[in-house]
Amino acid sequence: MIQSPAAATLRFAPILLFLLLLGAFGLSSPRFLEPQNLVNIALQSSSTAIAATGMTFALLTAGVDLSVGAIMFVAVAVAGKMVHHGQPIALAFVAALAAGAAFGALNGLLVARLRILAFIATLGTLFAGRGFGLWLTETRAMNMPESVTRLGTDRWLGVPWAPLAALAAVCLLAHAVLSATPFGRMIYATGHDAEAARKAGVPVRRILFCVYLISGLCAAAGGLVALTQTGAVSPKFGEQKEFAAIAAAVLGGVSLFGGRGAVLPGALLGALLIQTVENGLVILNANPYIYPMVTSGIIFLAVLLDSIRNRAQHSLPGGGHP
Amino acid sequence: MTAFAIELQDIDKRFFGVPVLRKISLSIFCGETLGLAGENGAGKSTLMNILGGNLQPDSGRLLLAGQPYRPRNPQHAAKAGIAFIHQELNLFSNLSVAENVFLTDFPTRAGIVDRRVLRRRTRELLDQAGLDLPPDTPVHRLSSGQRQLVEIAKALSLDPKVILFDEPTTSLTQREKEHLFSLIARLRSRGITLIYISHVLADLSRICDRVAVLRDGQVAGIGPMADFSHDRLITLMAGRSLDLQFPPPISAPAPEAVLEVDGLSRRGRISGIRFQLHRGEILGIAGLMGSGRTELARLLFGLDRLCAGSIRLERQPIQHLSPRQRIARGMAFLTEDRREEGLCLDGSIGENISLVAAASHTRRPLGWLRLDSLRQAVAMIRDRVRLTPTARDSQPVRTLSGGNQQKVVLAKWLLVHPRVLLLDEPARGIDVGAKHEIYNLIRQLAAGGAGILIISSEIEELTGLCDRILVLASGRLHDEIPKTAFDPERILRSAMAGAAAAAAPPNSALP
Amino acid sequence: MTQTQSTRRSVRILRRIVASEYLVLFLCLAWFAVLAPVAPGFATPRNLTNILAALLPLLVVATGQTMVLITGGIDLSVTSIIALASVAGSALVTGAGGLLDASPLAVPAGILTMLAVGAGVGLLNGTCVAILRMPPFMVTLATMMFFSGLAIWSTQSRSIHDLPPGLLLAGGNVWISAAVALTVALAAHLVLRRTLLGRWIHAAGQNPKAALVSGVPLQRTLILSYLICGLAAGVAALLITGRLETGSPVHGRSQLLDIIGAVVIGGTSLYGGRGAVAWTAGGVLFLTLIDNSLNLLSLSHFAIMMVKGAVILFAAFLDTLRSRLTTGT
Repeated sequence: MIQSPAAATLRFAPILLFLLLLGAFGLSSPRFLEPQNLVNIALQSSSTAIAATGMTFALLTAGVDLSVGAIMFVAVAVAGKMVHHGQPIALAFVAALAAGAAFGALNGLLVARLRILAFIATLGTLFAGRGFGLWLTETRAMNMPESVTRLGTDRWLGVPWAPLAALAAVCLLAHAVLSATPFGRMIYATGHDAEAARKAGVPVRRILFCVYLISGLCAAAGGLVALTQTGAVSPKFGEQKEFAAIAAAVLGGVSLFGGRGAVLPGALLGALLIQTVENGLVILNANPYIYPMVTSGIIFLAVLLDSIRNRAQHSLPGGGHP
Repeated sequence: MTAFAIELQDIDKRFFGVPVLRKISLSIFCGETLGLAGENGAGKSTLMNILGGNLQPDSGRLLLAGQPYRPRNPQHAAKAGIAFIHQELNLFSNLSVAENVFLTDFPTRAGIVDRRVLRRRTRELLDQAGLDLPPDTPVHRLSSGQRQLVEIAKALSLDPKVILFDEPTTSLTQREKEHLFSLIARLRSRGITLIYISHVLADLSRICDRVAVLRDGQVAGIGPMADFSHDRLITLMAGRSLDLQFPPPISAPAPEAVLEVDGLSRRGRISGIRFQLHRGEILGIAGLMGSGRTELARLLFGLDRLCAGSIRLERQPIQHLSPRQRIARGMAFLTEDRREEGLCLDGSIGENISLVAAASHTRRPLGWLRLDSLRQAVAMIRDRVRLTPTARDSQPVRTLSGGNQQKVVLAKWLLVHPRVLLLDEPARGIDVGAKHEIYNLIRQLAAGGAGILIISSEIEELTGLCDRILVLASGRLHDEIPKTAFDPERILRSAMAGAAAAAAPPNSALP
Repeated sequence: MTQTQSTRRSVRILRRIVASEYLVLFLCLAWFAVLAPVAPGFATPRNLTNILAALLPLLVVATGQTMVLITGGIDLSVTSIIALASVAGSALVTGAGGLLDASPLAVPAGILTMLAVGAGVGLLNGTCVAILRMPPFMVTLATMMFFSGLAIWSTQSRSIHDLPPGLLLAGGNVWISAAVALTVALAAHLVLRRTLLGRWIHAAGQNPKAALVSGVPLQRTLILSYLICGLAAGVAALLITGRLETGSPVHGRSQLLDIIGAVVIGGTSLYGGRGAVAWTAGGVLFLTLIDNSLNLLSLSHFAIMMVKGAVILFAAFLDTLRSRLTTGT
């Protein structure tokens, strides 16, 4: 299969788009390309990028996890509650990750065991998770003590290191799992053709279960990173983050139809791309109300590119989720 | 100690009530290469799928090296030492060659895929299969011949005692084929038992020790390859089947053409097809699997885009029209796969029958359906195709038998009074009674002046019904046989010769 | 012996109930019967009117959503359509600086604007799905974010007050609302059951390949169903704007899951090909009853959300179970 120039362009579209944006914003404001600002972009995108990493697992199996935002909320609510009750931060964070894993496992059971369509199953847990989080927080905002926010702001070599370290750890680990373990390779096989994978002896159900478990775990981790940066649990915490995560993954070249894409550079690049846009808009002093419109415009573009890439495989419009 | 690798005893298998294998008994010696010949639908693939664990027999016994053997799934069969090289290749094109070979059995160190061992072991297997490729090559870059060899390498990784080949050469170039044969010779010399299905008789003679001919789900003949000349094989394959009777013609075709096709081509599939279909004529299309039969019908109906050529329906060019517009001009297409493309299985009988005709039973401008007239039309057509009277119009089509489902598809098209019918395998997978009724209907339609194109892999069906038969091979019109010269053997021979003559099949042209 | 027999019979009855078209009506009755004695003021005429008022806009949007779900698609943008339509129509006619303030054309122009916004977004969704072949979920997700953003940006997140009474009439009076909603539902029902388009919508969802071979204009069918869905959301915007007497970019915001949940609970399949407006009406009634009664029991917001989440999951599970029962796998 020889790649035509058009196909090659499509393949590298995210990177081209990214460079184009960097160039455009850099030209319009010299402040934009300063190292400090670039670090800021990485910092601001770390929470979304971590969630998008988990989402990538779900998308690779041709599924989706809509409960990511709700899981982030539940996780930080658990952590916040425990910190307020004087528990050590480390314990609180572990409990938050466990809560994320539990919700992920619930999604996994619904999708893999009960065979409920991924997006309706995770839509249900989105609801349930939001309700559960509100119950935990008693619908009030919780401010975190300085011991928590220090994690997000402590500098090492002039850079807040903890969020970046978390981002690097999650992305590298996920990348290693996907590219270098039997489990990771079977995820790709499942996403390419679940029926063929089952025939070839791949334990499809177990893989689906694990994928949602990982997505829940990543969502919780992403929530914790955001918590150290914002220092507060509000009732709206993580709302619509699932959409940001999907957008980041798809922008980075992860296919909605399963079986294609990666965390590095894929999902990470997508998250950086979205954050670059928002950051650029801030620097240009744009009206904050237009951010969601610009972001959704970019998502739309990414989906359009993905469906053009998939045209050959899916010749009929309309049917079939996602 | 038994000398048999595999013994089949009284194996029966039915699909939707239609017998496909009837009490087959067959014994295969250790280390021999057994060829399986037979027309399409004779039961060869079903038999292989039972051995490979994809299907379970309805009754009968299997013995593997003298031990009872009941594979529940392909992995189970593989563990027992039986590998199956499928006709359609089951590789994951988004993974590398090595990953495909070891997908469920990766060599690991501390949970991480040990790429070095993986590469080394894959290279060993690729060497055995005679494929000189880096193990990390992504499968989507391979040609179909190379994919075939990867499948074989994958089979070899399980150290099989028996390998089943289902038409392995259909998508190979001549060079790839030679390569495969020398590989098969090497496997034989290692004492592996091989079962080899093929339509190409020359290939069978070349590599097989013994040959078994299947017909109508039974063994029509078996013996040393040397005892079977090609003529004898073809006679056995095409021999009269038991229970088919064809209704006699009611009328003769008229001289004027209703469909004229010239220079029809689609890249890599169909090239330069030219023929005419007359009013009241039943024209058969014969050809082996992959000869372009279905592609031709899809082109005629406008489902695929053609590269060149013209199609004229009652003198009007229609090649630029959509299927919808062709239907309006009087064309109908009964597809090969009625579950995939013919029916809305969850829809009711009434909905399905009226799906095409509904457009002409409406009041403008809102598209309000005239339900009464539609219901009457459905009732009338149900009668005409003799759909089982016990089924209600509101019943889902899914609940019907195969024969009745096919009648629903036919009814759907008859309701719009087509002048050209394309029937792709109209009688596949249905019981004898329903077959006979459908043949009768085809006769009546022809007598009513419609031009009918029948595609069938059952040559009997074509010789029994048609006024003329076109033989398709490798996307070209290879032969035209008038009614006076009908002879199942001649048709089969022509189709096979055509396939063999095409040295490089179309897709070998792709990189 | 008799015990196994009776278990078998109850299993059979249970199967029949699960497979029944009217499952959700049974559930409504059961819910009502259980809660009427417990929840204070549940079965009063005043509360029943409240339930009706809350139910009607939901019914209208869910009706449109039903059409799209039957084609095998989904429309997540309906709530954004409600917000944008409400804002656009209101901004045109508001006494606080609207273009058509005090014009005799104000009311029809306001209504038409709302409907046109709905139809326009629906057309865009349909075009992306049918012509550009983008996955419905992602297309409508993007348009949901975009048009919600547009509604908020264009009003700077403020509500629009001082609307002419004529515009508020349809949503303000529960009986007129009921008439409008029932008209929409009835029209949609007739389209699905009695017109060619209805046949095509079903066929597109049941088996798009077979539909194409049978001459169904797949693209036109899909575009029309998204357009109708958008239009219905426009009508809902009119009802909600009237009921709350303001045009606001957050109208409908939290209702997306209610809408899709109601349709699915009613029994319309997420896999496409099966669904009915009457079922959706049952689903809407059920969700509204739950909402209302949980409120009366003075349960908190989060408990209601959790119950709803569970109900959606339960309905999805029933749907899976039902399709397994009917296809026998």
